[in-house]
Amino acid sequence: MSSAVITVQDLRKSYRYASRRGGLLGAIGGAFSPDYKLIDAVDGISFEIAAGERVAIIGPNGAGKSTTLKMLSGILEPTSGDARVFGLVPWRERKALAYRIGVVFGQRSQLWGELPARDSFALLASIYDQRGAAFEQRLKDLIERFELAPLMGQPVQRLSLGQRMRCEITASLLHAPSLLFLDEPTIGLDITAKAAIRDFITENAREEGQTVVLTSHDTRDIELVCERVIVINQGRIVVDQPTDQLRRRFLAHKLVTLHAPSRRVEIALPGVMRRASEPHLDVFEIDTRKVRVEQVIATALEGGGIEDITIEDPPMEEVVREIYAVAHD
Amino acid sequence: MVRTSLVANYAHGAAAAVRASFADRTNFILQSLSMVVNNGFMLVLWFMFFAGFRSVGGWKLADMALLIGIIMSIVGVAGIVFGGYRDMAASILSGEIDALLTQPRSVLARLLSRDSYPSAWGDLGTAIVILMAFAGLGWRDLPWLAAGWLSGLVVYIAAAVTFASLAFWISGARSLARDMTEFVILVSTYPGSIYSGASKLIAYTLLPAGFVVLTPVRLLRHPSLGTLAVVIAAAMIYAAIAAGVFHLGLKRYRRGATPVMGV
Repeated sequence: MSSAVITVQDLRKSYRYASRRGGLLGAIGGAFSPDYKLIDAVDGISFEIAAGERVAIIGPNGAGKSTTLKMLSGILEPTSGDARVFGLVPWRERKALAYRIGVVFGQRSQLWGELPARDSFALLASIYDQRGAAFEQRLKDLIERFELAPLMGQPVQRLSLGQRMRCEITASLLHAPSLLFLDEPTIGLDITAKAAIRDFITENAREEGQTVVLTSHDTRDIELVCERVIVINQGRIVVDQPTDQLRRRFLAHKLVTLHAPSRRVEIALPGVMRRASEPHLDVFEIDTRKVRVEQVIATALEGGGIEDITIEDPPMEEVVREIYAVAHD
Repeated sequence: MVRTSLVANYAHGAAAAVRASFADRTNFILQSLSMVVNNGFMLVLWFMFFAGFRSVGGWKLADMALLIGIIMSIVGVAGIVFGGYRDMAASILSGEIDALLTQPRSVLARLLSRDSYPSAWGDLGTAIVILMAFAGLGWRDLPWLAAGWLSGLVVYIAAAVTFASLAFWISGARSLARDMTEFVILVSTYPGSIYSGASKLIAYTLLPAGFVVLTPVRLLRHPSLGTLAVVIAAAMIYAAIAAGVFHLGLKRYRRGATPVMGV
């Protein structure tokens, strides 16, 4: 018997939309006889995810990753194809599946803003039929593990974004799900909060042997949390491979932006390539397999006159474009 | 695992929403008091009206007080316990129901129980005073009042849910649903004798003020098993229509055919 928690076979989802015509007459005509067009948001994807795996589904905006997550969590019905999560068909057995999965949408909250998190936790416990000593112990453990004790009495709307996200994830874990779906869990967070959330997800998954499926625009989420990456573009799987392999080829770059009003910055190190140069501003792409970022910064500072430094990961769109190009070579 | 009943779960959700509405005490007091003032002003106008005209098509001051008391108490209880109906169309359009679909509960119940409005306490408080002081009710009326009021509440919530469910088909349903629900309240604050022909047809179908207040008032003034059967049947029919339209819309949403659906 397969140990797969999720099995997806030739899953497809098309959306129909009315195409807008130009001009007032076109708009009026379109209202009476709309031209319908189809978008293939998910276009025949197949994969399996084993118990305990931590998998990232990544891709540019509109690639179909959220649609995939929505189908696997029972929100959306596919146009065709098949998927099983714990042997259940998600869109047909939504309620039974809900007891076994936790879902976090980075841009939506399941907590009451005006109330302390503990009140929302109590309501969610009732929704998931959790009660008694076992639940109390689990809640206590989660509060301890994620250091939520000082936050429990404060209204959620007064918490920082990072603290709020810790509470959101805790809320999704109250019923001890074996599978956690996370849609953009670090969106809008600062660097420290992102790091805390990544630790939070990874630590919990390791301790509980939980399967994690995550979508993100942040390549660091993928590198630090997931051991496998599925790249989707235009509804199709472009690459499905271990993160280590992907990291070696595509996630080894950093962008360093230097603001130097008085001079043009020159860095002559292997693995450093100038990406852009404007008056007062130079952008370098660093290949971290060949040179360390601090070494690049130290070299740049030697010349003096630098007022500001920004270190970033390349945008997800760029990473996916590169992966896509290599995959189709 | 013992499942929590739908009613217990609903009560839990509604209690959390009520606590959330109390969170900003100043806002709570201001909103509920301003509603009391607003309702009091309307009542004074009717008092002045009836000081000049003893009755309108057979409706006297006590009948109007009964009608206003019933609609205010319905709007009050709906706003406190089922407050999610007011922004339901917006919740559908903004995709907020995605999170509710991942929970093992009725989406409709979760939507209704997620909000509670401070102003609704003002409606309920005024309604209780009006019903006790001016509606001319006695103890023997209580069973009829309970039956009529409960069916009126069901019809009102059902109509609001049906209007909000249009959001599964129409992107501009947020204001449409609000306007239609406001119309039901508006039509419910006039004596039934002013409606005839097409306006009466609308008041007993599309904007069912007839079944929210007018039939319950008739049940109280002229109690009969026939009228009781009518109010119960109306409540059941409107509730069935609301549940049917909502679930048809939800099926459409889950097929990704709604006006707003992100890829």
